[in-house]
Amino acid sequence: MMRSSAVSLALGYVALGITALVLFAAPLWYAWQVTIQEGRAEILQADAQRLTDIFHREGAAGLKAFIDARVGMQIAGERILLLTDASMHPLAGNLSMWPSTVPARPGNYTIQVEVGNQGAQPALVHVAMVGSHNLLVGRYNTIFAPLQTRFWYGLTAAIAVLSIAGLLVGLITRRALMSRIHSIRQTVSAIMYGDLKHRLPTHLNNDELNTLTRTINGMLEQIELLVHGVRNVSNSIAHDLRTPLAELRSRLEELALIRPPPEQTYAEIDGAVADVDRVIRIFDALLRLAEIDAGMRRSGFVALDVADIAANAVEFYAPAAELKNIDLAFRSDGPVSISGDPVLLAQALSNLIDNALKYAPVNGAIEVAVFKRSDGTAEVSVSDDGPGIAESEKSKVVERFYRGDASRGTPGVGLGLSLVQAVAKLHGSALALSDRKPGLRAAMTLALDAASAAALATPPQETANVNVIVSATLTSS
Amino acid sequence: MKILLVEDNERVTQFVVKGLQEAGHTTDHAGNGRDGMFLAASEPYDVIIMDRMLPGEIDGLAIIEVLRKAGKRTPILILSALSEVDDRIRGLRSGGDDYLTKPFAFGELLARLDALHRRAQAINTEMPLTVGDLHMDPLTRKVTRGDRPITLQPREFKLLEYLMRHAGQVVTRTMLLENVWDYHFDPQTNVVDVHISKLRQKIDAEFERPLLRTVRNAGYSVTADD
Repeated sequence: MMRSSAVSLALGYVALGITALVLFAAPLWYAWQVTIQEGRAEILQADAQRLTDIFHREGAAGLKAFIDARVGMQIAGERILLLTDASMHPLAGNLSMWPSTVPARPGNYTIQVEVGNQGAQPALVHVAMVGSHNLLVGRYNTIFAPLQTRFWYGLTAAIAVLSIAGLLVGLITRRALMSRIHSIRQTVSAIMYGDLKHRLPTHLNNDELNTLTRTINGMLEQIELLVHGVRNVSNSIAHDLRTPLAELRSRLEELALIRPPPEQTYAEIDGAVADVDRVIRIFDALLRLAEIDAGMRRSGFVALDVADIAANAVEFYAPAAELKNIDLAFRSDGPVSISGDPVLLAQALSNLIDNALKYAPVNGAIEVAVFKRSDGTAEVSVSDDGPGIAESEKSKVVERFYRGDASRGTPGVGLGLSLVQAVAKLHGSALALSDRKPGLRAAMTLALDAASAAALATPPQETANVNVIVSATLTSS
Repeated sequence: MKILLVEDNERVTQFVVKGLQEAGHTTDHAGNGRDGMFLAASEPYDVIIMDRMLPGEIDGLAIIEVLRKAGKRTPILILSALSEVDDRIRGLRSGGDDYLTKPFAFGELLARLDALHRRAQAINTEMPLTVGDLHMDPLTRKVTRGDRPITLQPREFKLLEYLMRHAGQVVTRTMLLENVWDYHFDPQTNVVDVHISKLRQKIDAEFERPLLRTVRNAGYSVTADD
């Protein structure tokens, strides 16, 4: 229990409280003692002076009579008076003899005086010389004893209350903390054993533990998402790699069984190599996706002109478009500088154009456009006039290995749009697919560089949206 | 070419050594980092093929770094199963000249070795290039075949220039993508083939002897030989 942080914190506070109390009481005690001592000594001196005055006025007999009268009047034990002659023989007073510990010299002394059945009591006495007589005036310290006792009692009680309260608070805090930690621990161990659905219990208040719990819950959310993603991917991999591997296996098995003539064997071997290449291509695509998803590529971000990248991709695909007699056009309003990964953006754009080329009809049209928008972003879009994607399939096409009905029979492994989606996500965007009726428009919105965004704030110049036939006009090399 | 292969996998070694032999090259082989380092430092090679992960304390990148510090300029092709961009960058930064990931096609390896070897022999990039009756002047950007001028788009010019600088060698699609378009990924459809056929239209269509040839299962080659 001593190792509980709540209890040790409480104990620390108790110790601090006691120290503060003692530090406060000690000088008080000292000042009190000094003041009382000095005050009493002055009173005694004044007493002695008054008695000395009586002696001078009325002589030894007068003083003796005065003392006798005073001793008779006063409550016993409160005041000590003694007058002796030069040979220390008592003449008057309430002490039977001169105390042995007090020298016959003027001054203040603390002595123990026997008082009836109460035993020895401390007393402060003042000694003065009156002619050849010795005068002793004193008071018992006992009148202050109850005050002192009460002071000590008070101090002790305060310390005790402080300690008990501190300890109690510590224990209660510990209990509350332990119960919350216990429930967290239970949840965490459930998660540890693989049930990622659990979340840590949170309360409405915003204390430190709750803030931490919420952060951890956010982390669990992300982990669950990732694990779910990994599970999905491994399922898809298992499915999609199995197909070409099965083909390869049967091809090889057949070769081994039938042992066809060399020419046919060589053709089969070429086919097997192509099968393996397909598997390798899927692997490469998956690895690249994993790399992008892990966010590692963000280190490769540089300032770049996305319009230039798009123009290059369009130029790259221009001959392929020409072959299908598709009008592949590029539109932009000048350089669009953003911070990003040039290789991945090029690959994403190339995948989008590749897709559009696959689905656009012969004599169709594809438009690649890069435009700045007034809200400090740039939109990169690829539109075609192909069959488009059914609403129900839109969310599925970006999934790994998903291939729409329209894509059956076309080459590809179903990772193209997943990669575009991943690249868009890496750049803080998402792939948006919309209908053009007919056709599909795939777009991603990228944040502009700070400088370009600032330039947008100034009134835009007249921008000419020139539709260019790319292969003839682009000269970037 | 005299080639050193530093590779611990026996299958890969057998495959590469045999292929290189058939292509007319002499190959020395080292199965671990220590032997590889020793051979690379003591023998004169035209090209070194270096596996990244090797048994023993010395790995491929360490050998390359040591060789480069010792002033050895032999071109080195790194062969590795590590395919991520960062691995590639690290490999090239350590002093490697090219990077090929496993698994690879032999044609790709051979083409890259040829390119490395050619690059190592100082090339004057301003010198006019000639293959058969095809001429290219990189300075004036004029291309002629026989006495007929040929008009090329900038990218077509770059494509032809790369092919002509590697005249007589096989150039793979990946090499073209990397060097002509600076695309370090595999486009889904073979767009490179379309570019090649367009180029072929311009330089070969009206002539009797084709110069730009397709090498089956490997890539392309510009050559005047038969």
